[in-house]
Formats: sequence, structure tokens, C-alpha cells
Amino acid sequence: MIEVNGITKSFQAVTALKDAAFAAPDGSITGVIGPNGAGKTTALRILYTVLRPDTGLATVDGFDTVRQRADVQSRIGVVPDGRGLYPRLTAREHIRYCGRLHGMDRTNLETRIEELAEVLRMEEFIDRRAKGFSKGQVRKVALARALVHDPQNILLDEPTNGLDVASSRAVHALIKGLRDRGRCILFCSHIMAEVAAISDRIIVISDGRVMAQGTPEELTDRTGQQDIESMFLSLTADLGSA
Amino acid sequence: MWRRVFVVFAKEAVDNARDRRSLLVALIYPLLGPILLGILISAIVDVVTVQPEEKLVLPIAGMEHAPELISFLRRRNVHVIPSPSDPVRAVQEGAHEGILVITPAFAEHFAADETASVEVVVNSSRLPGLIAVNNILGVLGAFNQEVWSRRIAARGVDLKVLQPLEIKSVNVAAGTHIAEFLLFMVPPLFIFNLFMGGVYLAMDTTSGERERGSLESLLVNPVARWGLMLGKYLAALLYTAVAVAVQLIAFAVIFWIVETPDLSFTSAMSPVVILGILVMTLPLMMVAVGVQVIIATVTMSYKEAQTYLGLLPLIPAIPGMVMVFAPVQAQGWMMTIPIFSQTLLLGQFVRGEPIAIVNVLLSMSVSGLIAVGLLLIAARLYEREKLIFGS
Repeated sequence: MIEVNGITKSFQAVTALKDAAFAAPDGSITGVIGPNGAGKTTALRILYTVLRPDTGLATVDGFDTVRQRADVQSRIGVVPDGRGLYPRLTAREHIRYCGRLHGMDRTNLETRIEELAEVLRMEEFIDRRAKGFSKGQVRKVALARALVHDPQNILLDEPTNGLDVASSRAVHALIKGLRDRGRCILFCSHIMAEVAAISDRIIVISDGRVMAQGTPEELTDRTGQQDIESMFLSLTADLGSA
Repeated sequence: MWRRVFVVFAKEAVDNARDRRSLLVALIYPLLGPILLGILISAIVDVVTVQPEEKLVLPIAGMEHAPELISFLRRRNVHVIPSPSDPVRAVQEGAHEGILVITPAFAEHFAADETASVEVVVNSSRLPGLIAVNNILGVLGAFNQEVWSRRIAARGVDLKVLQPLEIKSVNVAAGTHIAEFLLFMVPPLFIFNLFMGGVYLAMDTTSGERERGSLESLLVNPVARWGLMLGKYLAALLYTAVAVAVQLIAFAVIFWIVETPDLSFTSAMSPVVILGILVMTLPLMMVAVGVQVIIATVTMSYKEAQTYLGLLPLIPAIPGMVMVFAPVQAQGWMMTIPIFSQTLLLGQFVRGEPIAIVNVLLSMSVSGLIAVGLLLIAARLYEREKLIFGS
């Protein structure tokens, strides 16, 4: 369960988020959509504790992302904006490193790595060093290390960006599986079709403001537009006229 | 928390052990100083031992003007040979280290019991030249004294009246050899290496992590920022300690190789001394790694960090380099200055001089306190939001 209340965040002269408020419930996939530079990544970074909001409160399962950072960190799994790997470590070592930093014990950790390698189909490169991995392979390692401690809340920044169709579908299936097990998933994307395809709830962000949020049906009712792109355009046009 | 600090430490240590560049800096660079010093010492040992005094070869111009001097020199085991026609040029070109020139007026003045003059042509900018001038002046001095005592005795005066000083030089160095002068080069080479050993790791684990884009994935784990920093810091400290130990062992091996019967440094680098130096300089290693981590954290990019950290090792080596030519006697207050105090103490260690425990403790505690301060600063820097963007 993720809640954001009245968050503002500025970088020098640029205001990235203005009084943003939204929620992502458990057992649900929440998609954050918006153009480049809308504030999606900043919102996620505040939730995964690497940035502090100027004002407002962000909580994960009720824990404050600023004052209870460690509690939040142990309840989230993150594929962040920066998802580089260590070129001299193998895929398995990357996942193991993350698991150990979460304090997992050895036997649990090793079985969990085998499980993830199977689910994400990583067997072929699991013991190869990351130098020279394809984009898809890098993405799988990033996902596996985010999920190694089986977190309740999962934050994904552009999870399928740069992946081919088959790999994207595999990631979508994985996300839906997590949702069906009651996890709270919050992801952001600038690909509208992707958000439309898998989201139970949609949050529209533009220019640092939350323009609308709700189920896809609620949003189409409100805007009178059927497809998500027209809906998005009509919502952001409101901003221009207001 | 400490277990997770160890997880970070172990990951960085293993990761960098797979990196040829980190290993090069930790294991191969430290060998260069000792090898350089070994070459210098053996070169000097050759120069000094090839020309022992009793086989002094002395070319003389104008031999015919001073038969008494020539026969004195021959009695003193000097191998007298005729000089080339241009003595100055011969010395300049290095054909001879020193040439004695006797002027035609010598015979007349000498016979008249007056002061007769000779010229000694040497090139004192070369070490063999310095040795030659020392030997030639020594043997001429002996001739001076012999003639002078004979002339005085002829006038009924005791020589002792005219010789208020009899000078014998006593060398207080543990050995007596000129090559030991080179031991003064050990401290600056050591300090340079100490500031070099962990530099690559400090950069790779901080600015390198940011540039690879792996930093955010690391920061989202439930480990306090200071814990992440400390794990990386300890890994860089390990590599620094390895580099320092490798260099000390290399010094010991080199000293053992260049050893001759009358030139022994092996006592200067016994295992006990090596261990003592490691313990004594550990606080300074902590200071060095602290500075490296801080610079790597506040710089914008890996390249910028490299620019500053590449120059860093030279600066602390400067006091030691100056002291090669202008040695300083260790005083208590000097022990409060990091780098300077270790340079002085290390010099005392390798020259086999007595060491005051108080000085060692003072040096270690001052550097230790500074290291703790640097750690606190580094921990604060890791808390900044800017960490993920670069300053």
C-alpha cells in the first residue's frame, strides 16, 4: 500500500512535483503515465527513498519514506531509473548481493535465486559476468534483484523500456502474477499502450501535477474518450485552458 | 548492520580483485619504488667499491718537476701514470676522475723551502669525482705533513705545537657506507605508495558506481548510507594495506639482493620492523582512504575524480623528498602533523635509529582522530540527495 499526500519537490529553479497526491492499493497494478519530464521518476525516487520531498508525506505500508527509511526499504522492491550492473559480477552474484543486503539467510537466498532464474528464464546466463549482457538480460537481472526478498510493494521505473515484444509480454505476465498474489505494484511508463494493457488503476501526471487518477473505466467516463491516448490528451489540454 | 557492512566490503573486495587495474595498483605499482632504489644502491656500491684507496690511480702532469712527491706517492701505494696532454679536458670527458698538475715553478719553490703549488683537477658533480678528490687530498695532505714536520724538526720545533687538531672522522650511521644515504628515499616512496594503493578502488566504488548507474539499486537496500560508505571504505583500506605490505616486503627483498659484506640493510627490514611499520601507519592509511572517498563522492564524474586523485599521492610525498636532501631531527611537536610524523618515524625505522614509543603513539592518535573526522564527513556526504546525480 503506497500513499502520497501533497508532495512538492523542486530542484533549484525547476519544480518537478507540485502538491502531488495519489495512492496505490495492494493487489493492484497502478500505472503512472505522463510525458518525459512530467515528474514520474521524481515521484518514484521519493517513494524508494533516494529523494526527500520538500513538503508533504509519502508512506509505504504506513511507514514514512523519510523518517522510517529502513522500514520502507525492507518493504519495497525497486527497478530504479539507473539500472546499471557491475560488469565483473555474474547475474547470480548481483541477485545474491541484493538478498544479503536484505539480510536473507543463505539457504533461503539460494533457493530463491533458483526460483527467479527459472521464472525469468535466466538459466542460460545466470553464471556469466554482466559485461556484454543484452538489454533484455540486464532488465531481467534488475527485476530479479528487485524481487529477491519477495517484497510487498514493487516500484518499477519504465520496466519494459527497450525490450522486444516477447520480453515485454513476459514482464507483463510476471507483474500480473505478483498482483494476483496481493502485491502492490506501482510502475511508470511513457508508453500509453502498455499502461492501458496492464493497469488496474491509472495516475496521469503532467508538468509535476496529478491530472487524474482512477480505474481506466472511471477515466474514460470522466473524459468521454474511449482510447487512452485521447483521454490523456484531453486531460492535459485541461491544464492548458485552466 | 555490521553484517551488511561486511557484505558490502566483501562484494567490493571480490569485484575489484577481478579488475586488472585495481590489482596493478595494489600489487605491481608498489614494486617500482623498491626496484628503483635497488638499482640506485647497486650502481653506487659499484662506484664506491671498485676504487679502494690503496690502488688509487693518479695521472700526473709535470712529474719531472717533483721527484720527491712522486716517490712519496709510490711509497703510499699510489699508481702514478703520466697525464694526458690536456688534463682539464680529460677530466671533463670522464677519461680520468682526477688529475694532479705540477707547475714548472714547483721545483724552485720546493727546493727553497717555500710554498710550492699543485693543482688538483676533478669533476665534483660526479660521485666518483668526489671520491677521487677525497683520496687525492688525503694523500697530498700526508705529503704536506711529512715535509712540514721535517722542515720544522730542522729548526728545532716539535710538530705538535703546530698541530692543535688531529682529526679522525667517526660515522654514526649503523653501517658506514655512502649508499645508506639512499635510505632517506624510502619514506617518500612509501608515502606515495600509501596514498596510491586504494585510490582506484575508492573511485570505482563511488563515482564509478554512479556512472555505471548501479548506485540507485544499491541505495534502495535496507542498509544505512553510512554502512554502505563504510563497507566501500574498508575495501579501499584493505587494498591500501596490501599495497603497503607488498612494498615493504619488496624493500626487504631488494635490500637482501644488493647486500654486500660491508653493506647490510637486512636488519632495516626485518619481519618485526615491517609489522611495526604497518601498525604505525594504519591511521595514516585511514586518512588517505578517507580523503579519497570524500573526493570521489563530491566530484561530478569519474574523470574529474581521476584528475584530483591522480595528483593526490605526490603532495604528501613532498616532505619526504625534501628531507632526502635536508634531513630533520624528529621532535615531539612534529608528531602532531600527519604524513610528516610518519615520514620521520619511518626514516628512523629503516635507518635503525632508536624510536620513542611516545612519538609513535602521538603520531598514531593524531592521525587516527583525523581519520575519524574524515569518516564522519564521508558519511554525511553519502546522506546528500546529490549523491545520485553528482555534485
